[in-house]
Amino acid sequence: MEVGSAVKRAGAAVPEALLPSRSLGFRDSIKARTRTRCVGFQPPASGTWRKRAVRVARKGAVRSEAVLDEKAPPPMKKKEAGPVRLYVGLPLDAVSDCNAVNHGKAIAAGLRALALLGVHGVDLPVFWGVATAGDWTSYLALAAMARDVGLRLRVSLHLHAQRRPRLPLPESVSRAAASNPDLLFSDRSGRRHPDCLSFAVDDLPVLDGKTPMEVYEEFFQSFRFAFSDFFGATIEDITIGLGPNGELRYPSFPPSGSHRFTGVGEFQCYDKYMLADLKRHAMEAGNPFWGHSGPHDAPEYNQSPAFGKFFKENGGSWETAYGQFFLSWYSGKLLSHGDRLLSVASQVFGDLPVALSAKVPLLHWWHKTRSRPSQLTAGFYNTDGRDGYEAVAEIFSSKSCTMIVPGMDLSDRDQPQGVKSSPESLLSQIMRACKKHGVRLAGENYSLVGVGTTAFRRIKENILAENSRLDSFTYHRMGAEFFSPEHWPLFTEFMRSLMQPEMDSDDIPSSGERLSVMDAVPANDREMQTV
Amino acid sequence: MAPYLLHVIERGVEDIPTGVIREASLPGRCCASSPRNSIRFPSRFILLRLSILPHRSPMLLVRWKPVLHCPPQGHPRRGFAWPRGPRRSLLLWRPIRSPAPAFLSISSSKFSQAGRARVRPIVRAGLAQTPSLSDVENAEILFSETLSLKRSQTVEGKIAVRLDPAGAEEEVSKWRLTIGCNLEGKWTMHWGVSYCDDLGRQAFEWDQPPPEMRPPESVLIKDYAIETPLKRLSSQSERQILHELQIEFDSNTPIAAIHFVLKEEETGAWFQHKGRDFRISFTDYFEVDNSVGGNQGFSIWPGTFDEISSLLLKAEESTSKKDDPDDEDGNVVKQNRCIAPIYKEFPILKEEFVPNHMTVSVRSSDKTDKNIVQFDTDLPGDVVIHWGVCMDDGRKWVIPSTPHPPATKIFRQKALQTLLQPKADGLGSWGLFLVDEGTSGVVFVLKLNEYTWLNNNGTDFFIPIGSVSSTTAEIGSDDIVHEQQAGTEIHDVRNSLSPNNSYPLQNKSLEASDPKNINMLPMKPQGAQEAKEAVAYTDEIIKEIRHLVTDISSEKGKRAKSKEAQENILQEIEKLAAEAYSIFRISIPCFVESVSDTELMKPAIKLSSGTGSGYEILCQGFNWESHKSGRWYSELRDNTKELSSLGFTVVWLPPPTESVSPEGYMPKDLYNLNSRYGSLEELKDLVNSFHEVGIKVLGDAVLNHRCAHYQNKNGIWNVFGGRLNWDDRAIVADDPHFQGRGNKSSGDNFHAAPNIDHSQDFVRRDLKEWLRWLRKEVGYDGWRLDFVRGFWGGYVKDYMEATEPYFAVGEYWDSLSYTYGDMDHNQDAHRQRIVDWINATNGTAGAFDVTTKGILHSALEKCEYWRLSDQNGKPPGVVGWWASRAVTFIENHDTGSTQGHWRFPSGKEMQGYAYILTHPGTPAVFYDHIFSHYQQEISRLISVRNENKIHCRSTVKITKAERDVYAAEIDGKLAVKIGPGYYEPPNGPTKWVVAAEGRDYKVWETS
Repeated sequence: MEVGSAVKRAGAAVPEALLPSRSLGFRDSIKARTRTRCVGFQPPASGTWRKRAVRVARKGAVRSEAVLDEKAPPPMKKKEAGPVRLYVGLPLDAVSDCNAVNHGKAIAAGLRALALLGVHGVDLPVFWGVATAGDWTSYLALAAMARDVGLRLRVSLHLHAQRRPRLPLPESVSRAAASNPDLLFSDRSGRRHPDCLSFAVDDLPVLDGKTPMEVYEEFFQSFRFAFSDFFGATIEDITIGLGPNGELRYPSFPPSGSHRFTGVGEFQCYDKYMLADLKRHAMEAGNPFWGHSGPHDAPEYNQSPAFGKFFKENGGSWETAYGQFFLSWYSGKLLSHGDRLLSVASQVFGDLPVALSAKVPLLHWWHKTRSRPSQLTAGFYNTDGRDGYEAVAEIFSSKSCTMIVPGMDLSDRDQPQGVKSSPESLLSQIMRACKKHGVRLAGENYSLVGVGTTAFRRIKENILAENSRLDSFTYHRMGAEFFSPEHWPLFTEFMRSLMQPEMDSDDIPSSGERLSVMDAVPANDREMQTV
Repeated sequence: MAPYLLHVIERGVEDIPTGVIREASLPGRCCASSPRNSIRFPSRFILLRLSILPHRSPMLLVRWKPVLHCPPQGHPRRGFAWPRGPRRSLLLWRPIRSPAPAFLSISSSKFSQAGRARVRPIVRAGLAQTPSLSDVENAEILFSETLSLKRSQTVEGKIAVRLDPAGAEEEVSKWRLTIGCNLEGKWTMHWGVSYCDDLGRQAFEWDQPPPEMRPPESVLIKDYAIETPLKRLSSQSERQILHELQIEFDSNTPIAAIHFVLKEEETGAWFQHKGRDFRISFTDYFEVDNSVGGNQGFSIWPGTFDEISSLLLKAEESTSKKDDPDDEDGNVVKQNRCIAPIYKEFPILKEEFVPNHMTVSVRSSDKTDKNIVQFDTDLPGDVVIHWGVCMDDGRKWVIPSTPHPPATKIFRQKALQTLLQPKADGLGSWGLFLVDEGTSGVVFVLKLNEYTWLNNNGTDFFIPIGSVSSTTAEIGSDDIVHEQQAGTEIHDVRNSLSPNNSYPLQNKSLEASDPKNINMLPMKPQGAQEAKEAVAYTDEIIKEIRHLVTDISSEKGKRAKSKEAQENILQEIEKLAAEAYSIFRISIPCFVESVSDTELMKPAIKLSSGTGSGYEILCQGFNWESHKSGRWYSELRDNTKELSSLGFTVVWLPPPTESVSPEGYMPKDLYNLNSRYGSLEELKDLVNSFHEVGIKVLGDAVLNHRCAHYQNKNGIWNVFGGRLNWDDRAIVADDPHFQGRGNKSSGDNFHAAPNIDHSQDFVRRDLKEWLRWLRKEVGYDGWRLDFVRGFWGGYVKDYMEATEPYFAVGEYWDSLSYTYGDMDHNQDAHRQRIVDWINATNGTAGAFDVTTKGILHSALEKCEYWRLSDQNGKPPGVVGWWASRAVTFIENHDTGSTQGHWRFPSGKEMQGYAYILTHPGTPAVFYDHIFSHYQQEISRLISVRNENKIHCRSTVKITKAERDVYAAEIDGKLAVKIGPGYYEPPNGPTKWVVAAEGRDYKVWETS
């Protein structure tokens, strides 16, 4: 792993150094040509924008070469060449829970469309519960489909279960959990979260004598073995699912209808093993009374921080010594889970020419309060005066793992009132932490639902921002809605606007007939001046 | 040669009378004919021929617009509804890898209309099996109904941009920019400027214009843009509409360019120039194609605006003046800035709705034992009826027995598609179908072209045949255009082509390049073959891209080739996306594609007038204090988005009229809509913003009483003023206070104001006109009717039928029955009165479920939850008897707010909402509760209701009604309990998970 990352860094350095001269050249040529052009792109607003635009152009060229000669170049090289690689997520149930390819024809057509459009690659979600018996045929078939149209792959290894579409945990795990429900997370009123195993059992031999970490490692090995032909040439990136929904967090809010969820969530420390750990920790801290249970005065899932005393803006329990004790233990469990799982992953995949990544949630509700309860219940000890994301970035940095952050499409303005949400400032906090620790960043959209022109504009702003550290962006998720006439034209336009500077004089018609991809962009409901 | 052909085509469309088109022969002959002859053939056949020509003479290749953004003609809002119209049909005909689509480049609007896939067999009247009109004339009409249809149409207009000097002779630096638009609508210009930097070069950012430049009506939108409405000019002649905006500025301000886009407020559509902002550039430094002005010169556009042309002359004069070297006004900045008069026009397209009609009549035929169904419509162009018959009482589509009318195709063994024949006068088309005696009705939808369907508010049209009486109510009138996704019908085109098709090549190309065939006809043996070909085709495209990449840098010679490839790519992308979409859609249950099987067989939710979709959630958008600020309309406008995101679909606004009391319930001049809540304009803005977020708006109509303007000679206030200047004949006779000369009241009297006598014809006529005016002027979608106890429900029926509200609810509030101060368990008498009223309105309006509120009061306050089940184990309120007409609520401006006439038990509001938001009926939530600490809980309950698709007709199974707990299951999808007692839903075959909970209530949904 160490070697691998060193190579990557070295690779990164070279093109960066080359960049200025290349971009200068291009800029000159713009000047030379402008008078004769009849279709041009609106010249960028500032010098830096210009530079970035040119980098996009270069990326286009490099990628085309790669398409030409598929096998030869290791993917690492061009990764650093362009600022943002664009992935599109495949449907979560692309492989169904009975391990068969779902809507294969549609995906085949969709992949071709994406390839032609210039999308860099696709994100293939792999579920632990589906590929559990080492039967990888369906996933392999999908990977081959992507490879054959010249798309790259990011594979997301999900170790959780999904309710909609239904993708369960492996049967053996479900069985173990049925006989010992404490393997699963539990909230204060004893409700179990069937999405993923409690972090407290990570190193306990609870699965037929094996620890979950060992089982995860077997799963990774099995994947590595099955996909050995794909690494490097096709698979560029492996995303490790660190918790529920594939994100590093506790299942602190109910998975159903979570897009409407605006409450604070609940602490998930009430399974037997978590409580035992808490107790031990309290003893060590010399305050055994703190170890009996979680905070008694925390509100319920859908309540606002005003309920209960724990998250109160001023003088809430979170600020007391007890609160600090509990929160640092609670978030510490999450961090150590992430740390250990990423170690396992980098042991398994470290020598492959692929990058590792993992996803961190964007818990933006209540971010403008002092206690930030929805982050606390999810395990991020990020309150007023305490940066919880530094520690996360540090772990990612130590494993050379890219941090994937969703919510690139969210803006403060569109959030409902009354939940003190601020996706933008949380995002910039996470970005700061990553920058400080040299962690590469990848973006995702929050959801396709509600992605409209403004969301695309926001994504574009994030991608093209001067201080953007994004090196890839994954757009979720392919499906009927994605290709619907309401959405698809927006997406193609988004793609085009990212690649716009690629246009060459060759692309410009000479006569009055205007050929332009930007010609006749739909005129409805959008504002033009930002591009 | 190519230009010659283009000319031919355009003339061909113009010159050939329709009759010739109908008579023309099929493509075979076209091919045989020489190009010179082609003028005699109808445009659509020319199309076919052209698509092949390039094979023979590749020189014909003309550059054409990429498919991704099709030519604008005929495509309203094309960006969002991409796979429509000519483009899609072109895809069908395109031979493999031929540059055929070249003909797209010449698509004028006429051309593309003609090209809209009308390759269908043409019907001739009088073929066998067609009853002729004369047969029909004397037959007895069993049933006849005229349906009004609404169809969208694109109108073409222009945006004119003019820049000319504004000042007098000596003020040379004063300039005026005029933006005009000649289409109907509410236009706003969204604009900004960019300034020159220090060196006089221009920047490209948008920036706010300097204050002196902003017209007075301008609104700041962002820190870089403002919006200014265009004014309608009245001076124009009648058929000329012109909206105009003038911006005056000083040429010494260092402005480098003005950028703008136009917005049409009513449709919310944005209009731009070639996909980007309009730019009027004043520098010659950096010329961008998009700039409208600068020193590119200008052209005079002959025609439309006479007034402008004369102004233009002036502009010219000033140009010459400006070019005069002696002109001294040039300064440093001006060295590379250059302002010259401009006049330019840009075509734009806007979507509008056009009303059309279809008359359907059923006659018995005396010659056969069949019925004749006649369709007659004024819809232009080809109209295909997609129809079937129903047997017995069901609504299942059945294919009628043969023989079918001519020009009929069987659509997937589910329905017939029959092309109507054009009428002799050319205005519309008609058709006659024979239907067996035994059928109970004909179901149909209309297909205008591949992508436009008309149906009856989301359901099918149904024409009863057997018994005429029962079903007429089903035929809705407010029909809307349904645009269906591409790919559903495409194979028809092919089917209709193939019998006449003399070109194997073309046919082949069709199959290969149309992957939808695979999808549509999975059973056909050639499916696999086609799939393979389609894949092979894409492979070639991908290969082409690779070649393109190698070529692109090196040679200019291959220009044409690369362009061709690129266009193919764009086209291919769209095609693949459409394919992916159609397949993905199939895997989702409940979608449009499967209309013919799933959608139609499930019992259609009857859309009755006045009850909305059945899934409505009402928000009372004000309280008793809302008038205080004087600007409630604009205040509420800030909350529209939030209300929509909370899940509300209908909002009830306060009474809009001038009123003696500030709250609006003592109306005076009904036509004066400036009230303490705001002005008419603000009201309209508010209604518009609700519509933008998809919320329907109810107006609060006070029909029972009206305050008079003047005293009569006895000093009694009973003479009205304003537009409805009624006298004392409009007032009921049985209230001595007002000395009315009308009839006795048909209901209870409201004693604070003269009660209107609805039995008078002129009163009803005036009120109907007023209500219709309100709908049109304000944009209300329906009504909340105040104090309907005061007059007979039959009059309400009259009003509702005249105004066709989307949703209507009446306030029928009287007391529940009590014995010794204790509320009776049985409140049937109370709800019976409400139901009687609804019945009198013929179900055209619902009513507030006062009974349920009353019973909830007792049940919650005294912990008597057993009250929530009536003797039959049903909900005890109106909702238990006529749920679809019950609007459940727990509080309103009278009962709660600052009046508190009958306040809901304090602290138990959420139990009340848990009850009404999970139960059938249409729940109404009071404004004060929405914006309180209850918001999250209410929002949660609403989303649970929506996620589980509970509607106003859902079924309730009461599982427990005891002293301290009430529990019920709704539609088997939700379980709810209220009360402090214990209840858990039984975990049998259905697994319940908690969906929402709060103090003394809990809601579960099935996992």
